[in-house]
Amino acid sequence: MSLKKGVPTADMGRDERHYSTELAVIGSGLAGFAASVFALSRGITCAQVGNTGAVAYTTGYFDLLGYCQDQWLDDPWRGLELLRESEPHHPLSRIDRKEIRAAFDQFTVALTEMGVGYTAPADRNHFALTPAGTVKPTLSVPETMLSGIEARKVNARTLVIDILGLQGFSAKEFVANMRSSWPQLSAAKLSFPDMESGGQVFPEVMARALEVSSNRERFAERIKAVLGDAQLVGMPAIMGVHHPDRVHAELQRLVGVPLFEIPTMPPAVPGIRLREMFEQAFPAKGLTLVPQQKVKRLELEAGRVMLYLRDSFGEMVIESKTAILATGRFLSGGLKAERVGVREALMGIPVIQPGSRADWYRQDYFDPLGHPVNRSGVEVDSRFRPLGPDGEPVSDRLFAAGILLAHQDWVRQRCGAGVAIASAYKAVEAAARLLQEQ
Amino acid sequence: MRSVLANTGSIIDFKAKADELLPDGASYDSCLNCGLCSSGCPASGLEGMDPRRFIRMAMLGMNEELSSTPWVWTCTQCKRCMYICPMSIDVSLLVGLARGAWPEDKKPSGIVRSCQAQLLDSGTSAMGLRSEDFIEIIEETVDEVRQEDERFKDIQAPVDKQGAYFFVNQNSREPAAEPEEMAPLWKIFQYVGADWTYASTGWAAENFCMFTGDDAAWERMVRQRVDAVNDLGCKVWVNTECGHSFYTIWKGVERFGLEANFEMGSLVSYYAQWIREGKLPVNSDWNTQGLKFTLQDPCQLVRKSIGDPVADDLRFVARKLVGEENFIDMQPCRSANYCCGGGGGFLQAGMKEQRHAYGKRKFDQIMTTEAGYVLTPCHNCHSQIEDIGGHFGGDYHVVHYWTLICLSLGILGENERKYLGPDLAEVGL
Repeated sequence: MSLKKGVPTADMGRDERHYSTELAVIGSGLAGFAASVFALSRGITCAQVGNTGAVAYTTGYFDLLGYCQDQWLDDPWRGLELLRESEPHHPLSRIDRKEIRAAFDQFTVALTEMGVGYTAPADRNHFALTPAGTVKPTLSVPETMLSGIEARKVNARTLVIDILGLQGFSAKEFVANMRSSWPQLSAAKLSFPDMESGGQVFPEVMARALEVSSNRERFAERIKAVLGDAQLVGMPAIMGVHHPDRVHAELQRLVGVPLFEIPTMPPAVPGIRLREMFEQAFPAKGLTLVPQQKVKRLELEAGRVMLYLRDSFGEMVIESKTAILATGRFLSGGLKAERVGVREALMGIPVIQPGSRADWYRQDYFDPLGHPVNRSGVEVDSRFRPLGPDGEPVSDRLFAAGILLAHQDWVRQRCGAGVAIASAYKAVEAAARLLQEQ
Repeated sequence: MRSVLANTGSIIDFKAKADELLPDGASYDSCLNCGLCSSGCPASGLEGMDPRRFIRMAMLGMNEELSSTPWVWTCTQCKRCMYICPMSIDVSLLVGLARGAWPEDKKPSGIVRSCQAQLLDSGTSAMGLRSEDFIEIIEETVDEVRQEDERFKDIQAPVDKQGAYFFVNQNSREPAAEPEEMAPLWKIFQYVGADWTYASTGWAAENFCMFTGDDAAWERMVRQRVDAVNDLGCKVWVNTECGHSFYTIWKGVERFGLEANFEMGSLVSYYAQWIREGKLPVNSDWNTQGLKFTLQDPCQLVRKSIGDPVADDLRFVARKLVGEENFIDMQPCRSANYCCGGGGGFLQAGMKEQRHAYGKRKFDQIMTTEAGYVLTPCHNCHSQIEDIGGHFGGDYHVVHYWTLICLSLGILGENERKYLGPDLAEVGL
């Protein structure tokens, strides 16, 4: 059975389904989603496959580069120059600054158009709030979080609230840790409407509840009751999943002062927002999205890439002219750490890694140099094609993007989104060139 | 919220069983304890339990507690936890196991009675409707339709028609409680010229035996129906708009290794096909008031069985029926949709307070859409969404697709409108 858009699906025999496309994106993390955004904007037909990955755990902040040569970076663009000097093999060192900026611009504009507002990347990093009451350098933030960052700069009189039963976010802790740089902070605890039992409450559940106007009104009343003379209110990220900017604006109107979100510990709303937004928006734009499944097998054939997978309905085959591998690292399953070494999970592409397992980690967990295993990944050429054992591209049609790439320690360098978005941009550009050449 | 239910039966080694039952590529050892499962589960917090806690307790060997927690009757086994888990861990498998280990007399009696009723008669009706009564009700209802509408003076509802293309399983609710609700589907079949039949055995579209955790009884139900379809030599088996009954056969045939000489289809996918082929020329011209509609994706049909292809069909048909601009999706939806809380036997389990608490999330989803109507191609969804609407004060109506299709075609009878609101009571009469 062939299952394509507009073709009847009533024949429920469990025949293999077959899709044809120009680009197959393997992975549904930030790099995979960014690749699909860039491909769609170029008019490339696209299919994307991948199950819940690390994107579900994001704060919502998009870091370009926050740390380099032992310093926190106020100017990530200057940081890229430092990086190029010290780490020429780093994926971000291999991409032109203008292209990185274009990629970030295009991606954040696309997200905003799809329904989750993001700030435009500027010349300087934001020092964004973390749930622990610290700050971190990042380039672009959800619109719902911006006013908190601004408020801290001017020491605005701000109330931070947490919610009865919510684990992993404490207003008191936030205030205690932040007070030295933000003296006019205070904390309060509220209960959420219809969730007053004291049992565990989840940000996702509250966020969905706040999409209902009557729940917003009741919650706003509770905020107003503890507002005092605060000029702003910060709260855990619970302002809706699907229309956060609308929920944000409506809550602000009801409370009467600016509100802002602070990311929470996983499972947190900002990642769920992104994931569900893509799942809604992409099929509407004509992309074939296979969510919650992993590609089981990939075969390179003459002139095409074949992807094999299976869902509860049965077998599925995606035939594509090109493919981008954006399968992430260990958490998402792109790399497997095994007794004898690190392996690329889908195709066994060679992985740049420490010489032996004994070299994976340094003695001190907090060693400022980081751990060598965290720079493992696949090597790519200038067209972002992964390299095989002979140092040549595995295929003209196969590209790689995201933190699967070697020579970067995205957690330590605060460059996860930067690597994901910029390398996806380059990989799609290279795939587009190949498609055009044919 | 605590139930009075308590298990005093056998104790399961959940960790050992979990390792046995794991699907390919899943690993309990890989559980990050991240809580996405619990965050996304409407049963979290009921009976002091949630999916993450259940898995952690299993890994810690807390078998006695897990074997006795009544939470397993509030989990609807909708598999949303597995769907969103980065490690594909399926809590519902363990829940099914736990349910099965409860002594029969301690299980929620409503579910057990429904299964027992199914085992009593070859018709397999959970409402205890015997086959001869089913056939008599059909005959009477057909007569009424013929008399009421000249256009359907020759309408047929065949039983045991050898070699018919479609074998139709009928949910017992209609023949037992509201037979006039069967007529819209018959009219649709006549309209498109479908070659179809009911059967005198294995005709019912429900399977509560799966929900009791009794695999042998589940298999018996599926086998009876598969035999009935094979015996009549039908090409395609469909249910009336239904969720769990579809899944029990869809999954059951594979799980119990049965030989099914037919295809399994979703009725809604056939609606979509007939619309595309021009056989069912529905449109939204009747919706002059711009009434807004949303849609419940039944977990059993979408997430657990066919997936997004049928979710696409549900939307295609809905948009044709109500108008593109009048259709509003719930969020999340499709395979990521929340269970309404009517599945898994929850409606029959007698745990009303818990079921309402579970349904609050669905209620909020519906309220967010501000739709006045909810389309539910599933009987349990239909009942639960009506019930939570009444409980939480929702001003919406809950309808089947067949009602709107006939409304759009101008063939919906006066007595086939019980689920429509006053705004549509007279439309197209």
